[in-house]
Amino acid sequence: MRSLASVPIGLTTQVIDVSGEDSVSLRLLEMGLTPGVEITVVSTAPLGDPVELELRGYRLSIRRNEATRVIVAT
Amino acid sequence: MSSTTTRDTTKQHVADSDIKLTVALLGNPNTGKSTLFSAIAGIPTRIGNYPGVTVEEKVGQFRHHNTIIELIDLPGTYSLNSKSPDEEVAVDVLHGRIESIGQPDCIVVVADATNLNRNLFLVSQALAVGRPVLVALTLCDVAESKGIQIDREKLSQILGCPVIRLVAPRHDGVDELVESLIESSEKSGQTVPASLNSRLAKAANSNRSIASAEAIERYAWIDEITKDVLSVSGQQIRSLGDRIDGILTHRVLGTVVFALTMLAIFSSIFWLASPLMDLVSGCVEWTAALAESVMPDGILRSLVIDGVIAGVGGVIIFLPQIAILFLFVAVLEGCGYLARAAFLMDRLLVGVGLSGKSFIPLLSSFACAIPGIMAARTIENRRDRLLTILVAPLMSCSARLPVYLLLCSAFVPDVTVGNSWIRLPAVVLASMYLIGILVAAVVAFIFSRTIFRGPPQPFVLELPSWRWPQFAVVAERVREAAVSFLKNAGTLILAVSIIVWALGSFPRPVLDAGVNPQSAEQQGEALRQSFLGQAGHLIEPVVKPLGWDWRIGCAAVASFPAREVVLGVLGVIYNLGDVDPGEEEGASMLIRQLRAATWDGTDRKVFTLPVALSIMVFFALCAQCASTLVIIGKETASWFWPLVSFTYMTALAWVGAFLVFQIGTALGW
Repeated sequence: MRSLASVPIGLTTQVIDVSGEDSVSLRLLEMGLTPGVEITVVSTAPLGDPVELELRGYRLSIRRNEATRVIVAT
Repeated sequence: MSSTTTRDTTKQHVADSDIKLTVALLGNPNTGKSTLFSAIAGIPTRIGNYPGVTVEEKVGQFRHHNTIIELIDLPGTYSLNSKSPDEEVAVDVLHGRIESIGQPDCIVVVADATNLNRNLFLVSQALAVGRPVLVALTLCDVAESKGIQIDREKLSQILGCPVIRLVAPRHDGVDELVESLIESSEKSGQTVPASLNSRLAKAANSNRSIASAEAIERYAWIDEITKDVLSVSGQQIRSLGDRIDGILTHRVLGTVVFALTMLAIFSSIFWLASPLMDLVSGCVEWTAALAESVMPDGILRSLVIDGVIAGVGGVIIFLPQIAILFLFVAVLEGCGYLARAAFLMDRLLVGVGLSGKSFIPLLSSFACAIPGIMAARTIENRRDRLLTILVAPLMSCSARLPVYLLLCSAFVPDVTVGNSWIRLPAVVLASMYLIGILVAAVVAFIFSRTIFRGPPQPFVLELPSWRWPQFAVVAERVREAAVSFLKNAGTLILAVSIIVWALGSFPRPVLDAGVNPQSAEQQGEALRQSFLGQAGHLIEPVVKPLGWDWRIGCAAVASFPAREVVLGVLGVIYNLGDVDPGEEEGASMLIRQLRAATWDGTDRKVFTLPVALSIMVFFALCAQCASTLVIIGKETASWFWPLVSFTYMTALAWVGAFLVFQIGTALGW
């Protein structure tokens, strides 16, 4: 298990869970980062933050500190 | 709109025999909801803010046979759960808590076919509101080209509501949608599918918060039903859109393209707007000349020409810039580039307490803070939006440029810097812009750690797929911005212009006998004896530490409502009469006069280099624009924030000017 923030660019993995119970975690879940969903790290902005993800057929950008909340399969 | 449509979107006369329906249009952002709204209801009949909030209300009306339908375009939202003002308003409207609207008879949820999975989340929530629901599937052509097939009938069966296929730009399906929604409105309510309900019941037993647990269950349900309903056929070839994205979000190429795009927008606002601005300015001058020839000499004529026309005219001249800026923003937003720009700039802006979405509003403020502040509407996060609005006026707008240019050319020695080809006046000019940016960064940083400190807000940003911006939507945004700007000019700015004129014209001057009252000297004397002039004398102790004499103080005070007037006022107060500092001759006359100016009763020159610098720094940091303060008030729905802006910026301006003058003088510049 590791966080989404440590997944290198180009890799596809599965979400296991989203940690925490605040507006950030709720928003991540509502946007579809739910247990079991397939997720790909597409790219990052020039300074490494934010990251661009692909899941459920669309592209989403979240900050690195938000990505650390997302626990994914190794 | 084709001529065979039975929809009449012109202003409706409602007969008693008509059926009246209220329909709410709900959906995620970037689903083509606005395009659909235009396609069904044409131009909105009502635009404004919902009471007490800064969320935009957009309502349209149209007739279909003997039914009048009021269509409410709700703000785009991803969920009916969250706490943002947009989402709260959507929930309030859906449950009939907004008095002026009443509960909708029917809810149309716009769902993006290329992205059905996530869009169904909102659909699943809408089904629980209690009013009949209808799903409008948009971007079907794009989905089909990607090989995505949706079994609409099956989906409709599972959801328990109609699912209509739309290709809105060509208006395919819109008639079917309208008929279907009239039918739906006759149903008594909406039942939530049993399969969904049983999952939601499970959520209630979980350890997590209800909202989180429900979100997980909803998606589990969606994943289940889409197995039967959604299929992606054929090989997923990297579409053109994907390849464009590859370039635009690429670390190096993306940043280059981004920089070029921003440069293009920025320069267009200046040189593209120029001929249009000349046109507007010409009209204003023509009106002034007309008034001068038609009206008898006297106070009323002065009020009309020097107060109303000069004041309002000076503001209307920015209309072309505003229209062009909003045109660019609407096009970039419509094609999906705005999100990518925010993505690229986010890290930099987070460092100072803002966010990526602040970039375009702040960039626009270099042309004029008014459209920049209006553009901050794209920032949903209330805190980020407020902070952006508060620092936007620090971006040196185009009205400051004449002041910088005149003072730089008059008082900065035209020498080269060191051994390079760079000239000092250019360096000083660039520094003024930089000072604005640096101070804004510091202010944003401080505010974000103090007054605006709070729990982190999610930056979750969708990067929509590339699509052609819809002309109707773009035109609507530009029209909206222009109309709201003109409305402001016609009301508050008019009032302010008249007040400033009055302060500068009364009390009527006691003139020397036998002297022409229109002569330059007498005009200068008139200004000095007026309230404005007296104010200048009064504040002299306050501006002396900045190196200014009372005349500069007077000009600064006079330019508080609109900084553009400062050069004209300086001209009058130094007895140049109605000289136009914008014209070359006028400028050089003014420069000569300023260079010769001495402190009252002495031979000591007023304008030294430190003084010129302190004036420029003051103008760089001060909130001398009533129009901007008015817009801030409108966009924040309060008078508190304009007050805060005015106060902190004036304080900063004073301190900045003081430091520059004192240090500069001490260094012997």
